[in-house]
Amino acid sequence: MMIDDLPRIDGVPVTSMVTPGDAPAVAELLADAANLGQSVIPVGGGTALALGNPPGSADIALSTRGLGGIIDYEPFDLVLSVGAGARLGDVQAVLAEHGQTLPIDPPGGDDATIGGLIATALTGPLRHSAGSLRDLLIGISMAHPSGTVTKAGGMVVKNVSGFDLPRVYHGSLGTLGVIVSANFKVLPLPRTEATIVARFAGIEEAMLAATTIRTRVANAAAIESGWLDDEWFVAVRFTGREPSVRNGLAAATEVLVADTAIFDRADSAAWWKRYQAALSLTANDEDEVLIRCAVRPRTTAALALGLVAKLPVLGATPSFLGASVGLGAVLVRFQLHDGSADRLAELQMILLGLANNLTILAAPPAWKAGLDVWGRTPETLDLMQAMKEQFDPHRVLNPGRFAGFI
Amino acid sequence: MDRATLIDRLQQIVGPNGVFHRPADLLVYEYDGSVDGAVDTAAPAAVALPTTTEQVAAIVTLARQAGLPVTARGAGTGLSGGAVAQQGGIIIALTRMDRIIEIDREDRTALVEPGVINLELTETTAPQGFFFAPDPSSQRACTIGGNCAENSGGPHCLKYGVTTNHVLGLEVVLPDGRIVWTGGRADGSAGYDLTGALVGSEGMLGIVTKALVRLTPKPAATLVQLAAFADIESASLATSKIIGAGILPAALEMMDNLTIQAVEPAYHAGYPLDAAAVLLIETDGDPDEVEAMGVEIAAICQDCAATTVRSATAAAERDLLWKGRKMALGAMGRLAPNYYLHDTVVPRSKLPATLSRVGEISREYKLPIANVFHAGDGNLHPLMLFDRRRPGDVERVLEASKEIIVYCVEIGGALSGEHGIGTEKRDYMTLVFTADDLAAMAGLRNSFDPTGYFNPEKIFPKGYMCGEVRALRAQAMAQKLGIYAL
Ligand SMILES: Cc1cc2nc3c(=O)[nH]c(=O)nc-3n(C[C@H](O)[C@H](O)[C@H](O)COP(=O)(O)OP(=O)(O)OC[C@H]3O[C@@H](n4cnc5c(N)ncnc54)[C@H](O)[C@@H]3O)c2cc1C
Repeated sequence: MMIDDLPRIDGVPVTSMVTPGDAPAVAELLADAANLGQSVIPVGGGTALALGNPPGSADIALSTRGLGGIIDYEPFDLVLSVGAGARLGDVQAVLAEHGQTLPIDPPGGDDATIGGLIATALTGPLRHSAGSLRDLLIGISMAHPSGTVTKAGGMVVKNVSGFDLPRVYHGSLGTLGVIVSANFKVLPLPRTEATIVARFAGIEEAMLAATTIRTRVANAAAIESGWLDDEWFVAVRFTGREPSVRNGLAAATEVLVADTAIFDRADSAAWWKRYQAALSLTANDEDEVLIRCAVRPRTTAALALGLVAKLPVLGATPSFLGASVGLGAVLVRFQLHDGSADRLAELQMILLGLANNLTILAAPPAWKAGLDVWGRTPETLDLMQAMKEQFDPHRVLNPGRFAGFI
Repeated sequence: MDRATLIDRLQQIVGPNGVFHRPADLLVYEYDGSVDGAVDTAAPAAVALPTTTEQVAAIVTLARQAGLPVTARGAGTGLSGGAVAQQGGIIIALTRMDRIIEIDREDRTALVEPGVINLELTETTAPQGFFFAPDPSSQRACTIGGNCAENSGGPHCLKYGVTTNHVLGLEVVLPDGRIVWTGGRADGSAGYDLTGALVGSEGMLGIVTKALVRLTPKPAATLVQLAAFADIESASLATSKIIGAGILPAALEMMDNLTIQAVEPAYHAGYPLDAAAVLLIETDGDPDEVEAMGVEIAAICQDCAATTVRSATAAAERDLLWKGRKMALGAMGRLAPNYYLHDTVVPRSKLPATLSRVGEISREYKLPIANVFHAGDGNLHPLMLFDRRRPGDVERVLEASKEIIVYCVEIGGALSGEHGIGTEKRDYMTLVFTADDLAAMAGLRNSFDPTGYFNPEKIFPKGYMCGEVRALRAQAMAQKLGIYAL
């Protein structure tokens, strides 16, 4: 997507685009919008603009591109403060010079911005071992529609000074404020890595192998399984020092007796870069839908099998399925033939019978009309609405986009 | 509602044995683990000890009707006055809700009631190969509910993270009396991260009645190393170098000479009595990797002029090395009748400067200060040793704490790494946070508890009214529009 063109947000055209250069400018802009009754859609790298319900209105697209750059980086302390508009790829490059990294591999890849990653809480396969930005976020600065800029947390790795607002803002999809900068603890880059990929004849075998790996192989960095490039697969990544990577591979090989390939170092990293691209929220085709389902981890295989059985019956042809057995999450991309809002709503309802949580990560905007892409309405919706009311009473930010149409 | 009616109504909810109301019975509930003088004590009108979530909800509803504040309480080991009923009212003590409801080996979770003791969860799950990672030094006594409320940490949080990284979902009683679940077994529940909001909220947003927590598989191998140094700077440098080398130990703790003097004669853990500081470094994981890390750590310590480096792999040896650290606070009794500690956090690279400033403060205030702390994450615990019966001691301790806190904040640190703000540090909040920052926190509180009757007077500076935030915001907006000036 070209940021310079006026973007459409889920089909809704924005009327103007602004690129404030610092936090006070963001806050001022939000306060003005609140005053004028305008809506503001924060835009980062544009890698996840498909996420959310279509906005009720989209007057101003606020690009965080003016808020890029490293603010403070202390390699010795393994802490980093960075502007919300910084591209993940650029941040990783700076960290890598010092042998460090943010151990995340989100669907948006290198083009995702730090602010967007926090707001969307989208995660990739490394979540299996390294957690998510939720676990790495140690401080945050927000611009609010009240015209203020506030901070929470700090620049140290452990902090219980007041309410844990960084966790509240993480995953709030820009509905409580605009993230202007964030502080993280960073980790040493693994010294080496390797990946084993196995091909299977069917999904049952693949899911059984992945589940067995999860129980037997303690030090896997990521375990993914499913349908990729027209094959059933299991991929297991090991990162760390030579001995543990070697031991991990040996243990995984015992389970994955099937048709396997081993990728070392750069080849391993490249395999996962490609896999990350398969998770992308950007649609390849016009009638493409990407959903994420989650269950308790022990029933991941059942969920994956259920999806594979149900989707064709619903007129959907999966082109990719990625299950994370450690997390209980399955991402599936499919084409919905003769799709419509009604068909997607029906599909959502039926799949909710298989999964506890279900998010439609991407779908043609017209099909999203009338449904809540976040799935089941949380029983605490009124509490969430009260939070919205406190932080954004005029509903300036991303109106209607979040769960329960917050 | 008069007192007799209140007691009667409470007894109807939890039974006659579930209510304490006689002054003598209330006495222990006037305190928590904090030092007298550093936090105020206060007597509740009554203490209720529910055994079910429904009872908690009924008590909350009763308190609401009666216009009384509610304070949740676990084991009362908190160190910032969190469980003290600052404005009286009802204390809900959750110690009788102490069942481990379910352990799920496959999902690696445990569903527990809030009164379960931290260590009990680890001991119960150990035979199945698990542990509960947050391990505060008070783990023999403190409750999971208290851990959630304080977002507690411990030595192993360096690698494994603090409580919030291990809580997947919570059943809570909200200030409006409702029972709700946040989060859960399946990832990605819709909406704001209420679990994240509740953990660390010091009992002000909801009362935890069940917690779904993550269990961590026990590592295949564990190595504990002890390194002794002739000066604190070298020990600090070694700390930074170990982490800078890309090694993430499970724990990295420092004890200074004064601590060694207190601990060694009592527990014979094997700390050299003449060392200025010792580091306790634990690494775990794949056996070969642990061995490799151990070699590197030993080399780094030698490089930093360690006088001794010892390694222990057998469980009994490791436990002995740890025993000294775990018992350190208790052992302080050998040095002085009382101690008071803070738990500021500083950037790791500022540890040497901070420790030398603490040394200066110790001399200026003529207070012995022992340091035993989580060096790996820069979380200090300067223990000021004193005798409360000696006139002026408490005052000097409080003055000295203030100097330490101010210094740590000035160099980019935090007020508290794991003990929370409570009443103890609430007036320091403005050292770090602006009125706007606090307004955002108040916004969160207002959305859960508009009347502010859950654990009042905690976290926010004395006299701060959360309810005024809206007025302030309207004022700010008006000012911006030039309608009037503040
Ligand atoms: C010797 C000693 C060593 C310690 N070491 C550590 C350490 O290493 N790391 C560390 O982090 N802390 C440490 N602490 C502090 C303390 O033990 C922790 O904060 C602990 O988590 C408190 O648990 P508790 O059950 O005693 O809670 P309490 O003291 O009873 O309560 C603490 C707070 O939690 C709230 N609360 C309690 N239960 C609930 C509930 N069910 N729902 C909602 N709110 C609730 C209370 O209102 C209060 O605000 C130590 C304390 C002592 C005395």
